[in-house]
Amino acid sequence: MADVVLKNVRKSFGAVDVIKGVDLEARHGEFVVFVGPSGCGKSTLLRMICGLEKITSGQLLIGDEDMSDVEASDRGTAMVFQSYALYPHMTVAENMSFALRMAKAPRAEVDKRVRRAAEILQITHLLDRKPKDMSGGQRQRVAIGRAIVRAPKVFLFDEPLSNLDAELRVQMRVELSKLHNEIGATMIYVTHDQVEAMTMADKIVVLRDGLIEQIGSPLDLYTAPDNRFVAGFIGSPQMNFLQGQVTGVSGIEVQVAVPDAPDHILRVPLRRTAQVQVGQNVTVGIRPEHFLGTPEGPGLEVRIDVVENLGGIAYAYGKTNAGQELILKAESERPPHSGMVVTASINDAYCHLFDDAGQTLSTSAGAIRLRDAAA
Amino acid sequence: MADLPMMPAQRTRMTTSFFRKHKLLLMPLAFIAPAFAMFSLFVIYPIIQSIGLSFTQWQGIGPKTWVGLNNYRMLFNDAVFWTSLMNNVYWLVLFLLAPVFGLFVALFLNQTVFGIRLVKSLFFFPFVVSQIVVGIIFAWFYDPAFGLLATVLEPIGLDMPPILSDETLATFGIILAGLWPQTAYCMILYLTGLNSVNPEVIEAARLDGAKGWQLLVKIVLPQLRAATFIALVVTIIGALRSFDLVAVMTEGGPYNSSNVLAYYMYDNAIFRYRMGYASSIATVLFLIMNVYIVWFLMRLWNNEKGTR
Repeated sequence: MADVVLKNVRKSFGAVDVIKGVDLEARHGEFVVFVGPSGCGKSTLLRMICGLEKITSGQLLIGDEDMSDVEASDRGTAMVFQSYALYPHMTVAENMSFALRMAKAPRAEVDKRVRRAAEILQITHLLDRKPKDMSGGQRQRVAIGRAIVRAPKVFLFDEPLSNLDAELRVQMRVELSKLHNEIGATMIYVTHDQVEAMTMADKIVVLRDGLIEQIGSPLDLYTAPDNRFVAGFIGSPQMNFLQGQVTGVSGIEVQVAVPDAPDHILRVPLRRTAQVQVGQNVTVGIRPEHFLGTPEGPGLEVRIDVVENLGGIAYAYGKTNAGQELILKAESERPPHSGMVVTASINDAYCHLFDDAGQTLSTSAGAIRLRDAAA
Repeated sequence: MADLPMMPAQRTRMTTSFFRKHKLLLMPLAFIAPAFAMFSLFVIYPIIQSIGLSFTQWQGIGPKTWVGLNNYRMLFNDAVFWTSLMNNVYWLVLFLLAPVFGLFVALFLNQTVFGIRLVKSLFFFPFVVSQIVVGIIFAWFYDPAFGLLATVLEPIGLDMPPILSDETLATFGIILAGLWPQTAYCMILYLTGLNSVNPEVIEAARLDGAKGWQLLVKIVLPQLRAATFIALVVTIIGALRSFDLVAVMTEGGPYNSSNVLAYYMYDNAIFRYRMGYASSIATVLFLIMNVYIVWFLMRLWNNEKGTR
């Protein structure tokens, strides 16, 4: 059963189209993350689901009911805001119970639900405090508690972790995932941070300019991006992009020459639907970890500018002879140093090819493995 | 170059070592001192002087005669004093409409529509205008012969009473004039307050099912407490020291029916040369105001403690 269904949903502010036709399904209990650069419409989409923004056209179903024109408070959704949006003049308990009190729920029931939510979030000792006397992380919990108390069909999160410091963000990320497992409700989560998307989502929705670029599991998006935008957006550090030219097509395999590595012809498996001609310009995408570690045989000569050694892993930032910037994953124990020239050979099987329109042409080995594992 | 600044530095260290040690204590005192001196000379000293004067009989020149509590005894038997005091109570109560109106105007103006800044400045305009001008405008407005009110009401068959020369209406006519700029002032206070309300909190409340009146009372108003407090204080003080409008519009008349304490004091001092008697009125007014000033200071004190 799908808890939230969007059918060709659009939103315009005056003459400006912000959401340009979105179709989406969130199944019951699924953790869906909307991700995309700022201004892509992800927050607007969330606000349309909860009813803070009107839907210009299209249909919104929540739990099989048409909610397109239903009052925000009657949609069975609860929202956690970026600024937490706690009522500053109320105690934590009052904050959490406000919605129920507005709905005139019996006192005993209200108390029970507030207590239960406080236990889940371990904030029982804070119930009598005011928001101003709490830390950011505690306020965040209260904001989540306020949503839990309402027992909504769908939880909505609007960049809830972006006001926290890095350490707390990691901790809350894990706790949110735990919470999701515990209460099993459908959650829709908006973020611009692709790490949050990768770590928490069952399903990621990548948005750009009011349109969905791709929907899929985190690994799907990582190993088999549908286009160059998704390939570049998902993954940190970013995927490297090189210019290339098709030199030959044989069956499902295509040969590509990269000017930076003249003596290495890449052999990349094609998607079944892809049309490729010899001589066609393509973009080769390759993630930092998909250069072969030991520089044997042909490859790209890269002059290293900066090395970021994180202890367990190191990334080297450099330039090819043609001036193309490149990021390589390196061994943290024996990292290259800046100024050094290394040979990076591309692991063909993990290459991605994109045509001029940015659409993916290739099937990478990662995607094939993923498919095999699923089968 | 290196040892040049050394010499004076050493000397100052010796001469001002006491100052250095107590810098944190002395600097604030030094900054407060000029203001405190001025305040003492021009506010505290005149207050004490005027309280002293209220126990004397004095015509402004010539000798002062000590009369003890005589002025106060006279005051409590003076019908005009009681009328003025009662009128001050009317002012106080009706002036409290200003924060209420101000809040609603502010809520109405707190939106982002084209040209809203112009509308806001138009609403604020009466506060910028001098009270004297407000008084004159309203006196014209009420004029039974040529006034705008009469001109509007006459064609629809309503008979206009001469508001400012009517014993029962005059005070209310003046209060209404005073409400105009006072509402504008409260509106500005509330607009600033509304600016600092987090819009996400309002949205959260909407999602929680609060609408309209409930949203206003349970979510918005509590967040405007600081603005409400200031609005109340300035309105109460404004009502108690109402003077200029009375002076311009009725001079306390007819037959002292629209008099207020501040104007009655002025009347006694300037026109009747009864400085002692006027001082006793001033002292009574000062005591009444003190009730609110003490309340204000206590609130302020508690807030300061809370933020520490």
